[in-house]
Amino acid sequence: METDINLTSKPPDNNLVWAIVSTVLCCWPLGVVSIIKSAKVNTLWAQGDYEGAQKSADDAKKWAIYSGIGAAVFSVIIIIAIVLGIASNEF
Amino acid sequence: MNSKKLLTFTLSASVLGAVFILYYSFNPSDHSFFLSCPFKYATGYSCPGCGSQRAIHQLAHGNLGSAFGFNPLMVLSIPLVLYGLGTKAWNYLYSTDYRVKLFYSNFFIYTYFIIVLLFWILRNLPIGTFNHLSPSN
Repeated sequence: METDINLTSKPPDNNLVWAIVSTVLCCWPLGVVSIIKSAKVNTLWAQGDYEGAQKSADDAKKWAIYSGIGAAVFSVIIIIAIVLGIASNEF
Repeated sequence: MNSKKLLTFTLSASVLGAVFILYYSFNPSDHSFFLSCPFKYATGYSCPGCGSQRAIHQLAHGNLGSAFGFNPLMVLSIPLVLYGLGTKAWNYLYSTDYRVKLFYSNFFIYTYFIIVLLFWILRNLPIGTFNHLSPSN
């Protein structure tokens, strides 16, 4: 994998699409962290820091996933709270 | 394209399709089984994604205007998201490495980031001019 990264001329996939999805389609503001991580992929790649770029790309994905997991966990908690009658769900 | 990839793609597309049918069939404004946003629930303030569920229902019915009213940022991001996810799906299925050029422009990413932050702040301000950015209006 290491040699693959250095031989390709393209930066790693910065996963920006997941960052955008977790920002505007999901329900958790962690997506903004993901956007910044995506931007760092390009910057680090341009500086020749291939490993750093790869790590940032992985981080962008990670934060988008955290955002999704956070939303899922919260949903479960709210559903339990509603079932127990200690919370109501209103927009 | 191998059969495992095709299966994963078909399953993902089916889940997306089911979600679309759910949001098409039920208006989140009228049904309480749609959950509110965690950020809104906890703080009472709207996040950049608030209103997206109601906006998707409106979009699914072709009501671009009212979708825009619930969440203009989401409506404007939808073409980017579809194009981005479509590219990802194609790359996955055919083992290619196509990129969405726009996503690799830091100017675009930072502009988008600043728009998200401004949108987040402005839609929560109790100022008349910005009221239409709030999902409840």
